[in-house]
Amino acid sequence: MSDRLRHDRSYRGWLTGILIAAAILWAGSGSDVELSRLVEAGPRLAAFLGRMFPPDLSVWPEVQKGILETLRIAILGTFGSVAASCILGPLAADTISPKWINRPVRLLLALMRSIPLILIAMLMVGAVGLGPLPGILAITFHATGMLAKFYAEAIEDVNQTPVDALESAGATLLQKLRYGIWPQMAPTILRDTIFRFELNLRESLVLGVVGAGGIGFLIQTYVRSFQYEKTATVAIAIAIVILALEWINTIVRRMFR
Amino acid sequence: MNTIVRTAISLADVNHHYPGVIQPSLTGFDFSVERGATIALIGPSGAGKSTLLALLDGRLRNWNGAVSVLGNSLDAHTAPSRTDRAKTGFIFQEFALVERASVARNVMNGRLGHTGPVASLFGRFSQLDYDAVDEAIEDAGIAELADKRVDSLSGGQRQRVAIARCLAQEPELLLADEPISNLDPLSAEKTLKLLTQIRQKRDMTLVFSSHQPDLAKRFADRIIGIRAGAMAFDTCASDFTAEMYQDVYGTEAVADNALRLVG
Repeated sequence: MSDRLRHDRSYRGWLTGILIAAAILWAGSGSDVELSRLVEAGPRLAAFLGRMFPPDLSVWPEVQKGILETLRIAILGTFGSVAASCILGPLAADTISPKWINRPVRLLLALMRSIPLILIAMLMVGAVGLGPLPGILAITFHATGMLAKFYAEAIEDVNQTPVDALESAGATLLQKLRYGIWPQMAPTILRDTIFRFELNLRESLVLGVVGAGGIGFLIQTYVRSFQYEKTATVAIAIAIVILALEWINTIVRRMFR
Repeated sequence: MNTIVRTAISLADVNHHYPGVIQPSLTGFDFSVERGATIALIGPSGAGKSTLLALLDGRLRNWNGAVSVLGNSLDAHTAPSRTDRAKTGFIFQEFALVERASVARNVMNGRLGHTGPVASLFGRFSQLDYDAVDEAIEDAGIAELADKRVDSLSGGQRQRVAIARCLAQEPELLLADEPISNLDPLSAEKTLKLLTQIRQKRDMTLVFSSHQPDLAKRFADRIIGIRAGAMAFDTCASDFTAEMYQDVYGTEAVADNALRLVG
């Protein structure tokens, strides 16, 4: 027994180490990663940041409009993906849907996750035109791939015996859902949804670059035209929204433990 | 009073097979239980005690034979009506509580067979429901825990909550699947004492399964031994002997427990 303990796994540790080292060496060996450029980067970065100061607050009205549009895209996109996940999540759950349904649904969700958001956004812009609508659709599509998977896992984690107890007491199917299943999964669902909303907000910042609405359009315009003072104002607006969101997130999660 | 009313449970030639399992889980069960009796089922794990209790609770399907519980014949293919399910209370070995909910909330879950199916979804319950919950909490001796969350309770306390939930159903028959096997010896004895007291107070019939012959003999009036899906013996508790116990559990492993019976 002790012999087995002594020899077991030792080679696996080495193998893992060698694989990681090989991956890093391979990635860094490309001739175009010139570390020497880092030396000159410092002063340039300083100059760049210098040009961002002082932030040009005169553009605040349009920045505010942009960031609020991004927030709206994130909210509606999250709402859309929650609605889609309420259907696809149960269908993907091992415990309540048969194999011949949950396997294909899982595959579909994996495919949805694997397509980059920016690509979907470009497709949607092509389909429905410029503005926030393609952004909302893109976020809905992309986020559902993850959120429905999370919902399915929350359903699978539900302990069946309390539900059996309600059945035994004479509960109807809806009563079992409401008082046996829902209380067990609600905190997980809430946590996952808020997490996804935060991701949606961060990811929707870039949607404007391809014309799918929101603050991204301003980032692109200001950077392309070297108006770094205005870009700084955008950065401030984004920071405010993200920090506020994290603060709210912390409070909500403390409330629903 | 006629016999139908006085009989809580009756089984006639009941058999059941889990699909894909070679051995039948229940073979030729034939017995009846008078109202007001306390019955202990004993037998090794996998002998069929839980299957039998699930059958009596109306949660087992595809058995054959004839089963009548509280004067209603059970159907082998469909679940009993809500009212009939509410009449039979079930206490689970692993408590089966909603961990994140409060004690009172869990006890109220026992009322779901009585409440309006729609109003209850919005948290609306009648005064009758609230009164039944209060009385159940009182009877189970957990009044001081009512507002606590279940995940903060000990095993013994949880079992009392599960008992209270069952009482809130106002059942006529109480089924308990190894109600004491997850408890320490002291809580185990207290729990059985509580169950038998409540049985008497509310004039119910009690059927529980257990591995502890001494407690079964002390608290039950009648003991049914189950071995490999069949009845091995059916005896008055006072006639229960160490030989019977060894007959269902095998000889060596249980010498200790059997001695406690004799002593």
